[in-house]
Amino acid sequence: MSFDDSSWQHVESSLMRESLMDKNVIARSDGQVVPILPDVNIVQIGGRSIMDRGRSALLPVLEEIVANQSQHQMIIGVGAGIRSRHIFSVGLDLGLPTGALATLSAKDSAQNAYMVSCLLAKHGFVYLEAPFVVQLLPAMLAAARGAVFNGIPPYALWEHPPLVGKLPPHGSDAGSYLIAEVFGARSVTYIKDVDGIYTTDPKIDPAAEFIPEIHVQKLIDRKLPTLPIEPAALELLTRAKLMRNFRVINGLTPGNLSRALAGKSVGTLVRQ
Amino acid sequence: MKTPIDDNTSFLTDLGKQLLSGSLTDALVQQATEETPNFAILPWVNVVKIGGQSIMDRGRSAVYPLVEEIVTNLSQYKMILGTGAGTRARHIYSLGIDLGLPTGVLTVLGTAVAWQNAQMLHYLLAKYGIPFIEPEGFGTLPHYLMERGAVVCQGMPPYKLWEPNPATGRIPPQRTDTGCFLIAEVFGARKMIYVKDEDGLYTTDPKKSSTARFIPRIGVKELLALDLEDLIVERDVLEFMTRARNIREIQFINGLRPGQLTAALNGDPVGTIIYMDGDAR
Repeated sequence: MSFDDSSWQHVESSLMRESLMDKNVIARSDGQVVPILPDVNIVQIGGRSIMDRGRSALLPVLEEIVANQSQHQMIIGVGAGIRSRHIFSVGLDLGLPTGALATLSAKDSAQNAYMVSCLLAKHGFVYLEAPFVVQLLPAMLAAARGAVFNGIPPYALWEHPPLVGKLPPHGSDAGSYLIAEVFGARSVTYIKDVDGIYTTDPKIDPAAEFIPEIHVQKLIDRKLPTLPIEPAALELLTRAKLMRNFRVINGLTPGNLSRALAGKSVGTLVRQ
Repeated sequence: MKTPIDDNTSFLTDLGKQLLSGSLTDALVQQATEETPNFAILPWVNVVKIGGQSIMDRGRSAVYPLVEEIVTNLSQYKMILGTGAGTRARHIYSLGIDLGLPTGVLTVLGTAVAWQNAQMLHYLLAKYGIPFIEPEGFGTLPHYLMERGAVVCQGMPPYKLWEPNPATGRIPPQRTDTGCFLIAEVFGARKMIYVKDEDGLYTTDPKKSSTARFIPRIGVKELLALDLEDLIVERDVLEFMTRARNIREIQFINGLRPGQLTAALNGDPVGTIIYMDGDAR
C-alpha cells in the first residue's frame, strides 16, 4: 500500500504538514499578543484564608470591592478551602486519582464563588460558570457591573499529575492567574490572611522575614517550605506574555485591596 | 480559627488531619499523599487516540479501514476513542497567531477542530450504537462502555481559556495526545494506544529525512534525555508519564497498516512502546 500524499487533504497554512512537536516550528509561533480585556482586574478571594472565616473576614472584603466598583472593573475568583481538604482526605483514603480529586474540589470553590455572587448580586455582579467565561465574559462585563467565577480551572479529570503525591496542582490561584493572562488583564490580586510572602510561615515562626517584592524565578529558586500561593501560579508567571506580575495582600487589613487596585505598594509583588 | 470540622477529627485519617491543619503547598503534606493507594476506576478500558493530521485528514482511504478494525474489536475490547485535530487546527493556529491571539484562545479554537473530527468518527460508528460524549458527559461513560463497548470523544483536554502558555511560542502545548493520556491515567486504563501514520518513533522525522532510525522500545526518561528536535508525541505526555501513577507504557502504531490496532489491543509489541524506566513504584 502507498503512504504517499495523494490521500491527504490539507488546508494551506504556514503550519501545513508541519509537526507541532518540532522545536523549530514551535519557536516560530511567537510574536505580539493583543490584550483582550486590558482594563479588567482579577481579584482572587482565598478559600481557606478568607471564605472559611465567614462574615467577619469576608464582608469587609466585599465592602471594599463594592467601594472600588465605580473606579475599577473587577472579576472575582474564589478559592476552595477546608471542605476541599476534607474531600481530599476521604478521596485519597479511597485511592482516587488526581483528576477525580480535582473534579471534586472544583465544586467546593464553585460553592464559595456562588455565595460571593449572592452577596454581591445587588451591586450587579453575576456568577459565571466556565463555559460562560469562555463565551460571555466580555458581554457580561459590558452589561453587568462585575463578575464572580470559580477560581479552580475546569481541568477536572484532565488535571495534571503533580510532581509529588496526588494533590491537584492547579487550584484557584493558578486558575485566576490563567484568566488574567489569557485576557491580558490590568492586575491580579490574591486576597489572603497574611501580609504577603515571608521566608517562613509567619503564623508559626516569629523570625519569618517579609518579602515586599521579588522576581518570580528568584522566589522559585529559594524553595521556601510554605507559600501563601500555589507553586503552579509561580510557574505560570514565568511564562507570562501579558500579565507579568501579581500581588498577594492581607484581606483582613482594611484598605489593602484599594491600595493594590490603585497600583500602590502593598503586600508582596511577584514579577516576571 | 476553630471550625466544626476540627471538632470531628476523630473521623479523619492521620493524613486527613495533616491536610486540614497544614498548608497544601507544604512539601511534607505532598509527600504524605505520595504513599496513598491507587484505585483504578476503569482498569479494562483501552484509550485509542486517532491522529488528526495523520489519519482523519486523509479521509476514507485511511479512516474506513480503521473504523472496520475498531468494529471488529468491539466484542473483545472496550475503547475510549479520542480524536486529534490536524490541518484545520494548523490553519487556525497560524491565523490566530497572526492576529495576536493568546494561547488560551488558540486552545478554544483548536478544540473545535478536534471536536469536528470526533463528530465525523462518531457518524461512521453511530450505527453500532457508539455515542459521542463531551467532557461534561464523562459520568455516563462506564454505562456506554459496558453496553456498547466504545465511546467517541474529542481528544483535547477541556482547558480552553485556562490552557497554560508554552515555554516557547504560542501553540497550545497540551493538545490531543495529552488529553487522551490524561484520560487513560485518571481511569487507570489497560492501554494507551496512539494511532498515527508512522510505524512508530524515529530519531528524526522519517517524512523529511532518509537517515531516520526506527526506535521500537525506549524508556521515557531516556527519550527525554535525547532532547530530540522533533517527536511523535507532545512533550507534555512524556513529562506527565514520569509522574503518572497508573500508566506505565504508551504505544504508537501505524493506522495505515491493517491489523496493527488489533495487535496492539492484543498486547503485541507492534510500533513503538515508550515505557516508564527506572520504575520505583
